[in-house]
Amino acid sequence: MEMLKMTDISKSFFGVPVLKHVDFSVEQGEVHALLGENGAGKSTLMNILAGVYTRDSGTVLFNGEKLEHTTVKSSDAVGIAFVHQELNLFNDLKAFENIFLCKEITKKSGMLDKKAMIKKAGELFESLGVEIEPTMMVSELETGKKQLLEIAKALYANAKLFILDEPTTALNNEEIGHLFTIIRKLKEQGKSFVFISHKMTEIFTIADQYTVLRNGEFINTGKITETNPHEVTRMMVGSKYCEQEAYETRECGEPVLELGHLSGHGFSDVSLSINKGEVIGFTGLVGSGVSEMFQTIFGVLPITGGTLKIRDSAVSMHSIHNAMKKRVSMIPSNRKENSVIQDFTLLENCYVSEHTLSHKIQHIFSRKENKKFCKLEKVLNIKSNSPGDMITSLSGGNQQKVILARWLNTKADILLMDNPTQGIDVGAKAEIYKLINQLAKEGKTILVNTLEIPELQQVADRCVVFYHGHLQTELSRDDMSEETVMLWATNAINSLEVAK
Amino acid sequence: MNETKLKPKTGTSITKTLGNYSFILIFLVILIAFLLINGGATTWSGVMNILRHSAVVGVLAFGMGLVIITGGIDLSVGSMLSLIGGLSVVVFNSTNSPIITLIFALGAGIFCGLINGVFVGIAKMPAFIVTLSTMLIYRSIAQYYLRTMGQSIYNMEGTLSSYDAFYGFGQAKWLTVPVVGVVLIAITAIMVYVSTMTKFGKTVFAVGSNEKAAQLAGISVKRTRVLVFVITGLLCGLSSFLWLGMNGSVDPATIGKSYEMYAIAAVVIGGISMSGGKGRLLGVLFGAMSYTIIDKIIASLGFDALINDTIKGSILLIAVFAQIVVPAIRERIRKPKTI
Repeated sequence: MEMLKMTDISKSFFGVPVLKHVDFSVEQGEVHALLGENGAGKSTLMNILAGVYTRDSGTVLFNGEKLEHTTVKSSDAVGIAFVHQELNLFNDLKAFENIFLCKEITKKSGMLDKKAMIKKAGELFESLGVEIEPTMMVSELETGKKQLLEIAKALYANAKLFILDEPTTALNNEEIGHLFTIIRKLKEQGKSFVFISHKMTEIFTIADQYTVLRNGEFINTGKITETNPHEVTRMMVGSKYCEQEAYETRECGEPVLELGHLSGHGFSDVSLSINKGEVIGFTGLVGSGVSEMFQTIFGVLPITGGTLKIRDSAVSMHSIHNAMKKRVSMIPSNRKENSVIQDFTLLENCYVSEHTLSHKIQHIFSRKENKKFCKLEKVLNIKSNSPGDMITSLSGGNQQKVILARWLNTKADILLMDNPTQGIDVGAKAEIYKLINQLAKEGKTILVNTLEIPELQQVADRCVVFYHGHLQTELSRDDMSEETVMLWATNAINSLEVAK
Repeated sequence: MNETKLKPKTGTSITKTLGNYSFILIFLVILIAFLLINGGATTWSGVMNILRHSAVVGVLAFGMGLVIITGGIDLSVGSMLSLIGGLSVVVFNSTNSPIITLIFALGAGIFCGLINGVFVGIAKMPAFIVTLSTMLIYRSIAQYYLRTMGQSIYNMEGTLSSYDAFYGFGQAKWLTVPVVGVVLIAITAIMVYVSTMTKFGKTVFAVGSNEKAAQLAGISVKRTRVLVFVITGLLCGLSSFLWLGMNGSVDPATIGKSYEMYAIAAVVIGGISMSGGKGRLLGVLFGAMSYTIIDKIIASLGFDALINDTIKGSILLIAVFAQIVVPAIRERIRKPKTI
C-alpha cells in the first residue's frame, strides 16, 4: 500500500527553480533511499513534506489523505517525523523530558507526573533496544545515542514515516549497525523510512527502494536490488562523472615531518616519518585520536610527550602561529563550525590566514589580494561570480576549496586535512581528490584523515590505521582494502589472533 | 544538505545599499526635523554645535563599536570617563601642561582598557560581567579619591598659565568648525580605515563572526579581544581630554552617566549587529550625532529635559525595528504566494 505519494511537486526560491515536477512515493514498511548530490533538491522536497516550506504546485497524499497547507505541526500530527541532520534536541533537558516535551503526562493536580514519564520512556527505549537512562541529560549522551533518542521521540509521537537526513554522519560503525537494526525492527511494524545519505555502502545495506534527483528533477526510481553503486552514482552526477582513478604514482623526497613517540590529548606514543610530496592517509573510527593528533601537530592542542620534528627542527613550545610559520596548515573537520567565517566574503576568507603571518604591514592592498585570489581560484577551479560574494552563497565543495585556497595562500607545504570531503557531493569530491594529487605532485606533503576507504584509495601512498589513540598498523597502497582497514580500525584483528 | 543555500539575490543593489546605510536616513530625518523646528533661528554655528557636542560620546562609541563587533560589550566607558577625567584634572593642576595631561589621559585609558581586556580576552570571563564590575569600580574610585581631597568637584585651576590655552582648545574653531568636532571627524576617518582596510580590522570581524574558525585560521583571538578593549580605553582617554578642554571641570558622579548606553545605541543605530561580526563603524558617527540633535530639539521645543530618554529610547526602537523587521516583511511580500 502506498503510504506517501507526492506528485508533480515544484518549488522555486525567488524565481530560481529548485524542484521541477518531482514525483516521489513511499510504500508502507519500506526504506526508501532518496539520492542526489548536494543541491539536487532532496532536502527541499523533504522540507516541503514536513511543512517547513510550502510547495508552489503539486499534490501530496499521505495514507490516502490529501495534505494541504502543511505546517510543521500538522505534518507532525499526521505522523511524519523529520529527524534533522542538526539534531533538534534540547541539550539542557533530560532524555525523557525531550520525549515528552509539549506532550507531558500530568497528574490530576496539574503537576508533572515524572515517575510515569520516566517509566514510559524506559519502556520505549527498551522496546527499541536503546541503552539510554531516561534521567540522563541529553548533553551527556553521545551523538549516536542522541540520534536514537530523536527516533524514539518521533516514535512516541506515533510517527508513521521517518525522514532520516544523513543520519550516520556522526556515528561510528557500531552505532550505524545498531541504527540499522532498529530501522529493520520498525520496518516490520509497518513504519516507513526516507533515508538520505551519501554513503553507498549504507544505502545498499538498508534501503529497499531508491529515487534519484538531479538538479531538482526526478531522474529514476526502482528497487535497490536491481541496481548497483556505479549505476546510481552515474544517475546522481549525470554526464560529468568519470570513474577514472585520480591516483598517480609519484616520487617522494626526504622526511619533512617526524613524530617520535608523540603523545597528546586523545592519542599516545605515535612514531611516524612522513616524506616530502607524500600523501598519507589516516583512518580510524570516531574517537581514534587522529583528529586530535592533527590538532596537536598544528599547535591547537599541547604536546604532552615525545618529539615532533618539522623539517629537521624540533618543536617544543607549539602554537598555531608557530606551526603556520613552519608552513604547516590544517583544514579542520566540520567546515561550517571550524573553518568558514560566515560574515566574510570569499576573498576575506582566503586572505585572513596569510595576514596573520604578514601582520607587520597592516594595510590591505585590495588589488594585489584580488589578483592573488583570482590566481588561486583558477588553480582550484572555484566556481563563483566575484571574490566579493559572501562565502555562504557557495556550495559545500566550493567553500572547501576556498579554505584550501586560504592555506595555499600562506605558502604552506604540509597540509593536514581532517575529513576534507565531509558534506560534499560526489562531483566535488572527485575534484578535491584531483587537487590533492596535483598538490602532492608539486611537492606538498598531505596528511588526510578520513573514514572513507575509497577516498584513501584515490589519493594515499600509504595508510595508517588508528584505534583508541594508538597507531595500529601501517598499510601499503596495495593492502588498503576496505576489509583490511576495517579489521584494524575496529581492533577485530586482535580478537582474531586471540581466537587463534 | 546545502539545497537551501541556493541564495537568491535579495533585492536590488539600491535598496540593499539603503538598508546598509539606513543610519544616514535616520540621521537626515532627525536633522531635517531639527531644522524645521528651529526654523529661522537656525545658524551655521548651531549646526556645527551638533558636531561639537557629539565629540565626547562619539569618540568613545567607536571603541564600543569595535568591542561589539567582536561580540563583546563595554559597560565601563562612562566610568572610565569619570576616573580618567578626574585624575587628568589632578595631573593638569600639578603640571600645568596640557600635553602631559593628554599623555596621562591616553595612558590611563590604555591601562583601564587593559584591565577589561585581560579579564575578558585572557581569563575568558563574560564581557558584560567584567565591564559591569569595572563600571562600578572606576567611578567609585573617582568619587572616593575626590572625597579624600576634601573637594566636591575636580576643577582645573583657572589661575594656571596654560589654563587658557587648554580651555581655549575646547572652544576653538578651525574655519568655523569646532576643533573637538574636527577631532571626532579625524577619529572617524581613522577608525573606518582601521576597520575596513587593515589586517587587524579584519581580525576583529572574524572573531565576532566565528571565533573558532578565526582561531584555526591563525588569528590570535586573545590578542584581538584584549586590543579592542585597550583601544576603547584609549579612546575614552581622548574623550576625557576633550571633555576637560570643553568644560574645565569634572563632576565624577554625573560625568558620562549613561554614556555606555548612548554609545551602544549609537553603535546599534549605526547598523552594527549586537551578536558581532557585522556592520560598519561609519554608522557610529551618525548614531552619535543623531542623539545630540535630539537633545537640541528638546531644548529648542522647551520640553522638560527629563523626557529626553523617552525620545532617545523610542528612536532606538524605531531604528532597530527598521533594520530587523522591515527587511523581514519585505522578504515575505516578495515570496510568491503558495498553493
